[in-house]
Amino acid sequence: MADHWEFVIAAYGLAAIVFGAYWRRLCHKERELNALKSTSRSESTMRSRQPSTTGRA
Amino acid sequence: MTRVLGWLAAIGLAIGLGMGFGVAPRETTQGNVQRIMYLHVPTAWVAYLAFGVVLLASIVYLARRAEAADRLAHASAEVGVVFTGLTIAAGSIWGKPTWGTWWTWDARLTSVAMLFVMYLGYLLLRGMIDDRERAARYCAVLGIVAALDVPLVHFSVYWWRTLHQPPTVLKPGAASMPPVILATLLVNLVAFTLLYAYFVAKRARLLRAETEALA
Repeated sequence: MADHWEFVIAAYGLAAIVFGAYWRRLCHKERELNALKSTSRSESTMRSRQPSTTGRA
Repeated sequence: MTRVLGWLAAIGLAIGLGMGFGVAPRETTQGNVQRIMYLHVPTAWVAYLAFGVVLLASIVYLARRAEAADRLAHASAEVGVVFTGLTIAAGSIWGKPTWGTWWTWDARLTSVAMLFVMYLGYLLLRGMIDDRERAARYCAVLGIVAALDVPLVHFSVYWWRTLHQPPTVLKPGAASMPPVILATLLVNLVAFTLLYAYFVAKRARLLRAETEALA
């Protein structure tokens, strides 16, 4: 039987693309969440540094 | 821990690829196209494993309402869908030169396609319901019901007359293949299982971070 290397390359190539794309998606999501976390942390720090309106003037 | 799993999976995949193309011999009947087996069988095994994990995690969630179990079920279902899609695609690519067709409504192929569609529905259901607790509950039920298709997929080749060959490893008795081919297949099984564990760990951690960010 012929070897059909093109089918072997297609199968492994597709697997590399699918796994690579899924891994990149997870990494992208991780970066987004980290950015969101650092933004909300800096916002809460800014709020805590502002003078209190309920305390003495 | 996740990073270590990632590196272990990468090393395992490199060894598996090296064995699949460098150590395992050319198969006499099918020729080199048989090397697709080192991709197709491990992805199918991981799909079984992934949906088995969904089943267990869903039962735990319904019994204890543990959010970690729900996150594990969600992550495992998502990764399972990726692996099932790849199993179908790799099988189809292997089927064309060996069976002469990309697709046939054979019992094994049809039951795997059903499994893929059911878990795709599982992921869609999660996205459609806003209430987190309700989505988790409905998906736990669907996850359990859909996992019942896994034994149907596995035994379909015995129960019906199919074009797909019966199992050569996951069956009672010794595996019916030469030791070097079996060793290559087992190395790839371990490598793809590590890749699954890495993806699930990473996805579950992200789900936890998402929940904390929204809270």
